[in-house]
This record gives sequence, structure tokens and C-alpha cells, in this order.
Amino acid sequence: MLAVEVKNIKKTFQSKQATVEAVKDVSFEVRKGEIFGLLGPNGAGKSTTILMLTTLLQVTGGSAKILGYDVSSQDKLVREKIGVALQDTGIDNLLTARELFFTTARLWGYSKEDSINRTNELLELVGLTEASERRVKTYSGGMKRRLDLGLSLVHSPEVLFLDEPTTGLDPGSRRVLWEEIKRLRDGGVTVILTTQYLEEADELADRIAIIDNGLVVAEGTSDELKASIGGDVITFAFDSDSDLKLALNVITEGVQDKNLIRITVEDGARKIPQYVNQLTEKNIEISSVSASKPTLDDVFLKVTGYRLEGSDNKETNVEKVED
Amino acid sequence: MNTKITFLTQLQILTKRLILRVVRRPLAELPNIFISAFFLFVYDGALGGVFGGSAAGTPFDFANGNFVNFILPVSIVSASVSGGASGIYLVEDIESGVFKRYQSMPISKWAIILAPMLVGALRVLIQASLIMIIGKIIGADPAVGSIGFLMVLSIAFLWGMGFAGYSVAAGVRSGSSQGAQAASFLFFPALFLAPTFVPREALRGWLSTASAYNPTTYVIEAMRAIMVEGWLNDVIFKGYLAAGTFAILTLTFAVLSARKATEKA
Ligand SMILES: Nc1ncnc2c1ncn2[C@@H]1O[C@H](COP(=O)(O)OP(=O)(O)OP(=O)(O)O)[C@@H](O)[C@H]1O
Ligand SMILES: [Mg+2]
Repeated sequence: MLAVEVKNIKKTFQSKQATVEAVKDVSFEVRKGEIFGLLGPNGAGKSTTILMLTTLLQVTGGSAKILGYDVSSQDKLVREKIGVALQDTGIDNLLTARELFFTTARLWGYSKEDSINRTNELLELVGLTEASERRVKTYSGGMKRRLDLGLSLVHSPEVLFLDEPTTGLDPGSRRVLWEEIKRLRDGGVTVILTTQYLEEADELADRIAIIDNGLVVAEGTSDELKASIGGDVITFAFDSDSDLKLALNVITEGVQDKNLIRITVEDGARKIPQYVNQLTEKNIEISSVSASKPTLDDVFLKVTGYRLEGSDNKETNVEKVED
Repeated sequence: MNTKITFLTQLQILTKRLILRVVRRPLAELPNIFISAFFLFVYDGALGGVFGGSAAGTPFDFANGNFVNFILPVSIVSASVSGGASGIYLVEDIESGVFKRYQSMPISKWAIILAPMLVGALRVLIQASLIMIIGKIIGADPAVGSIGFLMVLSIAFLWGMGFAGYSVAAGVRSGSSQGAQAASFLFFPALFLAPTFVPREALRGWLSTASAYNPTTYVIEAMRAIMVEGWLNDVIFKGYLAAGTFAILTLTFAVLSARKATEKA
């Protein structure tokens, strides 16, 4: 049985002001025990998808099953099986981590004694034992994320949904969380996580669906996706804008990205001289040129037509490429 | 391992958690209790001399010689407005996302909604009792005997539940804790468009008319009957009726609003 089976799921928000098709048509399957990454820019529909799969939002169309249970008609059963850490962390700032774990364990039906034990286990697991008596208000962003993750694990869920678990964390804290998530996967938990970071999807997810504008535009393992591009990526860099413009006329299939032009070809390294000759013939000055295997970045560019910017930029993650 | 827990256990756990939140913010309790106690002292200080013992034998002797008895209900009603915190508790959880987390767990939504109301009720009981104790210390002495304190407390409780329901509805509908907070200002006109300082017969013109339609009037009058006059059964009954009806109406309104809010979008 599949852990998650999503078939043409759809969500339309209807209000007096506007109709928003947040999720237009999303399908994917997640096998048991894998980490599945939903990669997409701001507003792609990641959170909306997660909310539907976790029974918190009504599905407008299509269907989804978690461990064989339908999210619409069997939502109670689904809720018992899943753990959820939403994007907007629902954490009570006035309580301590210990109190939060204890309360959550009690709500999941553990006896008082079991709740105390479970609390200690989980505090240890997410590395918050030392801070456990402090009010959550005083925690750093990374500590809150780990707490959030811990709280979603209280009842040992079989399927875990994490909506942007590492957004806003520094690279070190992000790694800590990645290791944590991998350990969970190795322990048999199925993880569905969303991210807007390419390297997170690349490093962490066993399989990836790229979601853009409410649609899944590509799906597969990181390697499959990269292979789908075929060939290598040649990157030309230019110092002057005029050279860049002229070069675009020569390398007609090239895609511009700032002062760079990229082109995907078979056997990249061997084709470099040929391009360089063409450009120098026209007196176009190239500042550098290189060939490389495609990255997830290139895949993203190919399937969406624009580039998802690096993880250090939180303000504007999407940069449209002019055409 | 984990087993299903009953609705009551859920309610108890969620209520405990909210109480913990209240205890962690003791200062939030002060304004209302302070205002209520302030009313008691200031009105007694300002008006007690005129309408208290020295009014005996004059047309102003409506306090039966003990102005604390007469003004205590005003403070109690003011204290019972603390039930309005229920809406704020609920909306805070909605705003922080805690509400969503609970919704993603197999917990009864009624337990999630009822817990803040219970804590609001508890708050009313504690604040009204405190005011009552202060009143007793400075000379309150119910005409019907000591049971009068309990009777006044029970009316205050119903009245406070009314405010709890009202605030939950206002909070859920406005979707913000400011909304819930702003809504509780309704209590101001409610408290003062009533026979607050003098009996209803002494009110004039529009205020007299307005107070007749204000349920607060009947609540205060019932408490006053208990404190000042004695067993005026029909007046006391009207007070219970007004407070009870208010509570039932607003709690129904709250439940309907909350049900709408917990429905999936
Ligand atoms: N309740 C709502 N009502 C109306 N529109 C909504 C609602 N929730 C989300 N949307 C819209 O749906 C689209 C997808 O939103 P969603 O939150 O799923 O994106 P996301 O991929 O999670 O983005 P982010 O990376 O910023 O979290 C956005 O255009 C958003 O404005
Ligand atoms: Mg999101």
C-alpha cells in the first residue's frame, strides 16, 4: 500500500473579492518509508496541498488517500495516523517545552506516567532537554522548529507532514533538522515535506515533485529529474551587457540568467570550442565559460521557465527571466 | 500506549492548559479586578456619605442605611465582565496556530471551544468572589442573610457566562483578539445605562427608557433586592431570568459562530 496517494487534487478559494485557484491539479504518490519533497516557490500551492492532505482544508476536487484512508470521508482515521507541523508554527509561547509535550501526549491518550516518559524521550530526541523548563517565548527560531517537529511526533505517526520545516533557519540548524528527518525516515516514518530550497530537496528528498502555480510540473528522484534535461549545461559569463545581447543572437537556444547564458547540450565539454569560435568571430568578449552536469536549479528553470533563487534570499524567491 | 480518551478528559486537559496560560500572565487579570474594586471604593467614598446612614428619614434613603450593600452589585457586575476573556483566549489560539494544531489531532472540537468558556467562567467566579470579600470587609451585609452572597455570585456567574459567549462569538466572527477585546467595551454602556447610582425611579427621561430595555438593569436590581431589601422574589427572579436568558442567547450564538469557524474552508 502507498503511504500517500494524491489524484488530481484541486483547491479553489472562493470569496466575495476573488476566486483563487490555489491548487489546480496535483497528483503524486509517496511510498512508505520515503522522504517526499514538494518543491516550489512562494504561492505555488504547497501549503494548500498539505492542508488538504492533513484534513484541515476541504478538497475542491480530486481525491487523496493516506495509508488507504480518504482525507475527505475518513478524516478522523487519517488524523490518527499522521503527524503535522504546519508552516505557521502553532506553539503556545507561554508554556514550556516540557508542558507542551506533556499536554500533547495527554491529548493523544497517553496516561500521565506514559506522558512523562514520552516527554523525556522527545525532549532528548529534538535536543531540547536543557531548555525544557523555559518558556517557549525565549526559544530561538531553530529551537522552535525542533520543538514543532517533536510535537508532531508525540504519537509516533506513520506519516509525517512538514510544511517548510527549515525556512528561516541558518545552514547549521538546517543540517541538524535534515539529519533528524533522515533518522525518522530510517526508522520507518514516511515524510512529506515542502521546501523552497533546491539544495534541501536535492539533499533530503528521496523523490521530488516540483510544484508551480498549482500544478505539478515535474516528478522523480533528483537524479531522474536532472537526467531528464539530457546532456550538460554550458554556462557563458559576460562582463558587458552589449556582449551579452549580441551573444544571445548567436546562441539562440540559450537562456539568460543575469549576466550568464546557459545552454543545455549533449557532450557539453566538447562543444565549448565551437561556441567560443562563433562568439569570438563576432568580437564578443566572453569572461568565462564552463560545462557542468545539470543541477536541480536547471531542472527548475526548464520546467517553470524561471529560476528559484538561492536559499539565502527569503524576500523574493522567484526571479522571472525576461523573454 | 495511547488509547482513546473521553471528551471530558480532553476538556480537562485543554482547560488546565488555559489556566496555566492565565497564571503565566497575572498582570492581565489586574485591570478588571482593579476597576471593579475601584468602583466599590470610589462610589462608596463619594456617595456613601450622602446616601448611606445619614440619609435615614430623607427621600434619598434607598440604600437602607448601608450604601456598600447598594453599590456592591455594580462592582460585581463589572467583575463578571471578566468572563469576556473567553473570546480572547480562543482567538489567541486561532491567531497563534495552536487551534489548527488541535484540529489536526483527533480531539473533539467542542472540547476546544468549551475550554476557554470554562476558564472564563472560573475567572468570573474568582473575580466576583474577590469583590464580594472586599465588600464584606468594608461592611456589605445582605438583607436576606449570608446566603445572599451566594445568590449574588450565582447571578454574576450567569451574567459572566453571557459575556463569555458574547466574546467568543465576537472574537470568532472578527477573527482577531482585538475584535474580542473591543467587543467587551459593550459593557460600558450596559453598565451605565442602568440604575447604577440611584434606583430606577430616580432616573429621568431617555435614561429611564433605555435602562428599562437594558438587561443589566434587572441583574443589578435583583442583586440589590438581595443586598438591600430582602426577599423581593419577583425582582430576584427577573434578575436570574435576565442573566440566564442573556447567557443562553450568547452561548448559542457562540456555539453557532464557533461551529462555522471550525468548519473546513
Ligand atoms: N485561504 C485562502 N484564501 C484565498 N487564497 C488563498 C488562501 N490560502 C492560500 N491562498 C492563495 O493560494 C495560493 C497558494 O498558496 P499556498 O499558501 O498554498 O502557497 P505556498 O506554496 O505554500 O507558498 P509559500 O512558499 O509562500 O508558503 C496563493 O496565491 C495564496 O495567495
Ligand atoms: Mg506555504
